[in-house]
Amino acid sequence: MKRKDFFQLVLPLTEKLYRFAYTLIPDDLQADQLVIDGLNAYLLKERKSILRREIDLASKKETQLLKRALYKGILRSVCDIGVRRATQMNEHVKNNLPKDYTSFYALDPKVRFVISLRYEAQFSVEEIEEIVQMPRYEVIEKIHNGRFLLLNDLNKGVSL
Amino acid sequence: MMEYNSYQKKIVPYLDGSLPKDEASEFEAFVLTHPEFETQIKNKQEEILLLKNLIPVAHLSKQSAESLKNEMHSSIFNLLKEEPKGLWDNVRIKWEEWINR
Repeated sequence: MKRKDFFQLVLPLTEKLYRFAYTLIPDDLQADQLVIDGLNAYLLKERKSILRREIDLASKKETQLLKRALYKGILRSVCDIGVRRATQMNEHVKNNLPKDYTSFYALDPKVRFVISLRYEAQFSVEEIEEIVQMPRYEVIEKIHNGRFLLLNDLNKGVSL
Repeated sequence: MMEYNSYQKKIVPYLDGSLPKDEASEFEAFVLTHPEFETQIKNKQEEILLLKNLIPVAHLSKQSAESLKNEMHSSIFNLLKEEPKGLWDNVRIKWEEWINR
């Protein structure tokens, strides 16, 4: 794959990547930085395999599959770095959490990420396993716990 | 009744996407023959919709999106260096580097 092909596949994902970064760190600048750092980490790790990969951009199916694989790969790096950073969020960010989403930001960062992957972007459990590098039972547990805590907070109650 | 209960337990995994493909098809076939199940599925779907509203969807302004794209562009440009395969490829890479200075 040439560098220009990579630009073409990854740059349209900018806003989506930013949304995920923001679910971990609700601060514009820090979320921005998280996207860049996630992308850099991914490129440093996968540079050789990206350049070695043959791709036919004329094939829509192949392009879609590759775009999805790159998206998941970069999300994996964003998750890796972001979860660590989110647990060390500074006071400024902690005191300025988005008002309408306090229950969401009260959840553990990894649960937030998993819940967003599942309900916001509708990734399958198998894909989430791949992105967050956790065994399936842990992914399912995080989805269930996150859902329960969020709905419980709304006094809706939920039967698991 | 046993069968009914076991399918009832599959509603959430079905909506979660954690049900294996063959079981999901089996589940769908069961729902077709048990219309009352549809109400339960509908309730769960509403719950999922509610959950979606509890998750923030951050939007970038046009200017911020442009600036983030530029930063990503620079990262890719600096970290994804191609190895030239012959003279013309070398010229192409040099040209790209020149226009992206």
